[in-house]
Amino acid sequence: MSPSTETQPQARARSTHSHRRPFSSWREHHGWSAGASLRRLASKPVGSLLTIAVMGLALALPLAFYLMLSNVQSLGTALGRNQVINVFLKTDQVQANAQMLAKQIKQHDGVANVTLKSPQQGMDELSKMQGFGDALHALDDNPLPYVLQVQPQDDISADAAGRLVDDLRGMQGVDMVQDSGTWRQRLDALLRVGNRLVLILAAMFALAVLLVVGNTVRVDITSRAEEIGVLKLIGASRAFVRRPYLYAGIWYGLFAGIVAVALALGIEFALVEPVARLSQVYEGKLQVAGLPQWLLLAVPVVAAFLGWLGARLVSAWQLRRAV
Amino acid sequence: MIRFDQVTKRYEGGHEALSQLTFEVAKGEMAFVTGHSGAGKSTLLKLLALIERPSHGHVMLDGQNLAKIGHGGIPKLRRSLGMVFQDHRLLMDRSVFANVELPLVIGGIAPLERGRRVRAALEKVGLLDYERQLPASLSTGEQQRVGIARAIVAKPTVLIADEPTGNLDPQLAFEIMGLFAEFQQVGTTVLVATHDLPLIKRMRKRVVVLDHGRLVADVSAEEVL
Repeated sequence: MSPSTETQPQARARSTHSHRRPFSSWREHHGWSAGASLRRLASKPVGSLLTIAVMGLALALPLAFYLMLSNVQSLGTALGRNQVINVFLKTDQVQANAQMLAKQIKQHDGVANVTLKSPQQGMDELSKMQGFGDALHALDDNPLPYVLQVQPQDDISADAAGRLVDDLRGMQGVDMVQDSGTWRQRLDALLRVGNRLVLILAAMFALAVLLVVGNTVRVDITSRAEEIGVLKLIGASRAFVRRPYLYAGIWYGLFAGIVAVALALGIEFALVEPVARLSQVYEGKLQVAGLPQWLLLAVPVVAAFLGWLGARLVSAWQLRRAV
Repeated sequence: MIRFDQVTKRYEGGHEALSQLTFEVAKGEMAFVTGHSGAGKSTLLKLLALIERPSHGHVMLDGQNLAKIGHGGIPKLRRSLGMVFQDHRLLMDRSVFANVELPLVIGGIAPLERGRRVRAALEKVGLLDYERQLPASLSTGEQQRVGIARAIVAKPTVLIADEPTGNLDPQLAFEIMGLFAEFQQVGTTVLVATHDLPLIKRMRKRVVVLDHGRLVADVSAEEVL
């Protein structure tokens, strides 16, 4: 570099060295910008942590709702396992018809088991009930019909269970169908509303993340107007000036995403014990519905993208004004 | 190398900072631009760095008409210039090394080469031992030398300086000008705006004198005394 030892053509040849290595130069620019933006975040730890915490909470809320809905859904499924559909046949149906119908129903999609109860079995059960015994003795004939107790499969959806009930009602020889699972259809409808709400919340909080990052970057650019001016004066392109702010957006988003996942996992952990107790009530059929792994990975990535987008939108506008 | 051809600069509000200015600075020449405050010295340098655009006339640099450089071409032009400012324009939250390194980072120079060049530039201005310090811990003269190291580190073909010795004592100012003269000796074109007449006389270089935006004298190095 010394002017006394290096001629200008040599110097210029060295200066153009960078043009022969565009990719590594581009990579180094990015590395430099990423490092510089991280150092800036670290240089104001309280402000950075507060921003990340606010964004993390905003992202954690839809995750918490999602977790809650998943567990309600899981509870619904567990309770659905106790669902039994009673099919009362017409009183003129004989045993052969009842057995044939039971066989036919057993082959239906979504049916786990069918139990046939004869009128005599029904009479025996009724006679064991307090207060019924004397009344039943007064009857000349057994008025009870054959009853088919249909147990749907554990994983049957509320819609499929509803269709099964409709099919049973339409069968020949069936007088009445009693379904204990109507509540599941109502619950599923409510869950659908809840899922839509989660999506709307996620979109709203994503917008909030965008705005928080955008405002943080705007303030950062404003406070660094002098530095930006110097960089422009010594030949920095707009992309070079903007890059550290874009990386700052990415870091904010990424760290906030990690905070959100940590909070959601904390909520999930907090649910384990009470759900285990509830599960005992339902003979161990209930399990905590956790967040899927793909979602745990996707949240920081999406948050980093949102951070980048917020920084991109604001820096493009702000730098045009500032420089 | 540098040519001002009938250049007029009129700011919004009608103030005419330069008027019909025509002069040339040859490749590898060192020249001072002097005049009272408001004579147009800073505006002249701003036109060279495309911080401002002329209202009329042409500014040519290395055969290139600067009027034809669009917004996207300005960073490239500025990377070919070394600029020294009276107020140093250093980044106070970064070390001396990081400040001097900036033009090389912008120019995409590899890290190893950057380190070598930064240390060479700091050695040239006598601040090699200060590379880890923050500018605020240095004296005004040392800060100015950091600014000069930053201006020369990318080996510009043209070095322009706006009142680079404005805050320095005469001896330090002379030493700084000596540095500029050394760069001129290896082929760098140097243009310095200053109103420090005693310093100009000591340096014995060409002097362009402005008054109210007009060229009133163009004195060769030989004529300075």
